[in-house]
Amino acid sequence: MTDTPIAFDAPDLADRLAQCTPEQLDTLGFGVIGFGADTHVTLYNAFESQAAGLSPQRVLGQPLFTNVAPCMNNFMVAQRFEDAQEENSVLDATIDYVLTLRMRPVKVALRLLANPDAATRYVLVQRQPR
Amino acid sequence: MTPDLAQLGAEHEALIQFLYLAPVGLVQADIHGEVAMMNPVAAQLLMPLSRNGGLDNLFVALEGVAPELRSVVAGHAEPSGRVCDGLHVYLNAGQGAKRVPQILALTLLKLDPERVMAVISDITEQVRRERRLRQNDAWLNAILAGVKDYALVSLDLQGRVCDWNPSIERVTGFGQDLLGQPYTVFYPLDAMTPEHRQDRLREADANGWSLDEGRRLRADGSLYWGSSLIAPLPDRDPLPGDDAGPAYCLILRDIGDQHGLPERGHDDAILDHLTGLANRRALFEAAGRELGRSSVAPRPTALLMIDADHFKSINDRHGHPGGDIVLRHLAGLLGENFREVDVVARIGGEEFAVLLPSTDLARALAVAERLRASVAAHPATVDGQPVAYTVSTGIAIAPDGEGGIDRLLARADAALYAAKRAGRNRVDHWRAGMDTHSAHQQEDADAAA
Repeated sequence: MTDTPIAFDAPDLADRLAQCTPEQLDTLGFGVIGFGADTHVTLYNAFESQAAGLSPQRVLGQPLFTNVAPCMNNFMVAQRFEDAQEENSVLDATIDYVLTLRMRPVKVALRLLANPDAATRYVLVQRQPR
Repeated sequence: MTPDLAQLGAEHEALIQFLYLAPVGLVQADIHGEVAMMNPVAAQLLMPLSRNGGLDNLFVALEGVAPELRSVVAGHAEPSGRVCDGLHVYLNAGQGAKRVPQILALTLLKLDPERVMAVISDITEQVRRERRLRQNDAWLNAILAGVKDYALVSLDLQGRVCDWNPSIERVTGFGQDLLGQPYTVFYPLDAMTPEHRQDRLREADANGWSLDEGRRLRADGSLYWGSSLIAPLPDRDPLPGDDAGPAYCLILRDIGDQHGLPERGHDDAILDHLTGLANRRALFEAAGRELGRSSVAPRPTALLMIDADHFKSINDRHGHPGGDIVLRHLAGLLGENFREVDVVARIGGEEFAVLLPSTDLARALAVAERLRASVAAHPATVDGQPVAYTVSTGIAIAPDGEGGIDRLLARADAALYAAKRAGRNRVDHWRAGMDTHSAHQQEDADAAA
């Protein structure tokens, strides 16, 4: 881990996040949601917590697509993780999306990361300049 | 942080989470649709519809599937109140993907002159379930008690088979090969014209059911006496992505072979005792039905009136029993020369009539001529002796069912009279200006001469 800040669009983002401590994740300027094969949330950083208005203890251990971010429970997000899991393939996609942070529709970029060899999948959230 | 503030914060967070988790979409927007607040399920349902990647405006997001919303809201005169309640919005964001909703329910509430609130939910599965339940109900209602053996078949809007229950094999011998076939495969060849196939569906639509009884065909070519009931299914407008869905149920029932197949001799009220053909009443009923249908779905109907020539002299020479033999012989030839769908009737002593659905003059002339030649070439046998005889035929056509059976009969009779006058053993057809003399007057005049 170096002192260079980790960029949202870094090619090796998943590897670099995997080396971070929870405290280091909390310093990042974009939201990090990590979850396992069962979709239960394992990582929830401060940026995301602040944006959504939810403290990590309300979120950790909950199934992501039904209890934490139902807005992603469609073919644009959730199904891509399912497909990647089914096909045993690498997922690294960035899409424009709208999250309802504290019930305000907010344009974001979502980066979806999954790798069959890694236990943790990521949804990363970067706010779009308005 | 003071304990009070901490508690307030926790309550706020709980409220936020409550809205995050609410399993319906909630949106608050201004009167022009500009979104002020929305919860995650609203974004989940609306994002796949968004054409510009954003959800800034509710009306814009729904433009492709509910373009009327903006004007409906604008046209809502009252300062507040329900603009629409559970409006079904059909999506076509198909793409064959899983978890793509196909039907949303939308409720719009005008809060005040400036704001609206929307409740959006995915009711795709619910609608499917309800349809299935209603269709099952219709099935059950259609199955009458006391049926011994029956087969259930689902038909699509065009009357093509799309599903069936396993007893189809037992009742009809048909199996997998049925899919996509018109339901007329259960009828003998020529028993149903394409127009009839549609008529029965239309009648089922108009009356709630359509029932008929008669000869039916098994897969192996054998015949049985059966009834078929067609009833429309409720809610059969196709769901998105489900085009050839069931629209009618058809119940086929084997009534058994005790009805005297193949003579159809099961009902004295509609059969002629001597020949086993339809009687006058059956012809009139069939003609009434057919002409009624022709006025709904125009097509020509032909009526042939057929008379054995010089029948009085046959009776004189061979006695009444000999005359009866000739009449039965003629009835046999009539049966051979017409389709199953044609109604062949004995309507008088030596007078026969045949109703030919969906038949124009050219075809009627050809069939009548074939019959004439067939009779001339096949003498009857009375007491071991060949008895040659001939027939004359008059033809009338009702182009669209107009005028009814009476006019059709009168015209066929006039044409028959013309055929007799021209020398018998021939076919003629009605033309405008033809006398409406009865052919019997000619026959009587001949007998007197």
